[in-house]
Amino acid sequence: MVEYAVVAENLIKRFKDVVAVNDVSFKVERGEIFGLLGPNGAGKTTTIHILTTILKPTSGKAYVAGYDVVKEPAKVRSKIGIVFQDPSLDNQLTAYDNMFIHGRLYGLNGDALRNKIFELLEFVELKEFANKQVRYFSGGMRRRLEIARALLHQPDVLFLDEPTLGLDPQTRVRIWDYIMSVKKERNTTIVLTTHYMDEAEELCDRIAIMDKGKIIAEGTAEELKSMLGSEVIYVKVVNNASCVEANFIEKCVRVRENLLEVVVKDASTAIPKLFDVMTSKGLKIVEVSYRKPTLNEVFIHLTGRELRDALEESGRPHLGPRAWR
Amino acid sequence: MGFIKAFYVMVYRQVKRYVSARSRVLMTVVNPLIWVVFFGLGWSNVFNFPGATAIFGGLNYITYLASGMISMTIFMGSFISGVSVIWDKQFGFLKETLVAPAPRSAIILGRAFGDSVTTVIQGGMILALMFLIAPGLRVEGVIPALIYGLMLAMGFTSLGITLSLKFSSTEGFQMIVNLLTMPLLFMSGIFYPISNMPDWMKAVAYVNPLTYAVDGMRYWLTGVSNFNPLYDVALLAILTLALTALAVRTFEKATIED
Repeated sequence: MVEYAVVAENLIKRFKDVVAVNDVSFKVERGEIFGLLGPNGAGKTTTIHILTTILKPTSGKAYVAGYDVVKEPAKVRSKIGIVFQDPSLDNQLTAYDNMFIHGRLYGLNGDALRNKIFELLEFVELKEFANKQVRYFSGGMRRRLEIARALLHQPDVLFLDEPTLGLDPQTRVRIWDYIMSVKKERNTTIVLTTHYMDEAEELCDRIAIMDKGKIIAEGTAEELKSMLGSEVIYVKVVNNASCVEANFIEKCVRVRENLLEVVVKDASTAIPKLFDVMTSKGLKIVEVSYRKPTLNEVFIHLTGRELRDALEESGRPHLGPRAWR
Repeated sequence: MGFIKAFYVMVYRQVKRYVSARSRVLMTVVNPLIWVVFFGLGWSNVFNFPGATAIFGGLNYITYLASGMISMTIFMGSFISGVSVIWDKQFGFLKETLVAPAPRSAIILGRAFGDSVTTVIQGGMILALMFLIAPGLRVEGVIPALIYGLMLAMGFTSLGITLSLKFSSTEGFQMIVNLLTMPLLFMSGIFYPISNMPDWMKAVAYVNPLTYAVDGMRYWLTGVSNFNPLYDVALLAILTLALTALAVRTFEKATIED
């Protein structure tokens, strides 16, 4: 029998007039990197807040490292590490002091704590800045410090909420390296949220795609992409589209009223044929594009929207984190 | 075990932050100085007539006022120190303490104690200056006065923490603190004796923890007091405990939604 590091069962979280998390269930195996992928406002952060005991679910159950997050929050807290989406460092203290305070709050002390701090600062390449105040740190340095801090008490489960948000490409790759080595060297279970498809694909063993408070698909990146088949052509037409059929078309879905998603084996030979088929049906084509399926195409397939568009339209509704201001 | 570690480290943090924020420290020390110099020296000439000292329990006015300034410094410093909880909300550090497995009571008590220690140090600095302005103060009363001061500080840092856990903006918090600070100062016996106040003001003064700190400290520093000094310490302790318990309770229930 597999023991799960994280189990969420029918989690629901309602804020005043928004349902931020709407019946979310998933399981994460020990040692796995599990990703919640979706646009802002999809409910990823709220889910993480529930799992890390700082928000109570309206209903549903969740277990982390075997403990109930509502009934045994103190036990859960001692087993988890978390890097929040927004920084949670004390800017007026040094990197060392931030680590030191964390260590004491988690019951560590003495030489063991001191050595551990320097070992981890070395791991995230911040050892030389140990005695510098955090307010002088760049965004990337802060994020690295937070990762080091979250690892200090050797958590069973590490939560990373948008670990590379707002970082430049080189720094992102570096953070990815740290995350991969945490998994490899310590066999820590990692739950991360992201709205970057490349990040989910690069890091996660399994991915759950979230949109509007629900998990709409779950699986490995390969499994998710295979929902679509080999290659995908998007055809935008002038007016209402209707699906076309032909022997070279594996699948045709109308994702928006003027947008067709056509799955084929080989797009470069299928496109000319598709033109003929559509013209004969009287559909006037305005735009054609084709892509090898990525998680973005999976998202379009499931929601009819681009992940990018979804990012813009949602514009962060008034959920948890906002109430802080 | 975990309790002591968490308590100690929060004291460590608050003191360390205090040391690195000197401008704030300066303001809380300058404020009482302005009062004692302009208000105190001005009125001390008014109360220069024969028999005036009877109003102030036999003290001249400047000694009377100076003996209250340490309470004022500690009161203002500790009450406003709660604002650091709001900064911690904004800069995110509060979340770090909310997900920690350490007992929340230890975290919040350590925090209150750390801020109390720093404000008592400020009070001590003011008291040293008061000896220059009012040479009549008693040196042997300094240690007891600082102990009263620590209790006072625990009470009002706790009240400040409770309020700031409920407020999400520094402006809102500062508004409520400013709104409460002046009336509490005026109804504490720092500037004039409680016995001369109208009845409704007396009623407020009797439930004001500051009153007992002022009176108790004045007893040790000048030998003059309005109440029995034992009542002072007992009532101050009770009111401080109540405010501290309130802060612990509020923090134990805190979630990220507040």
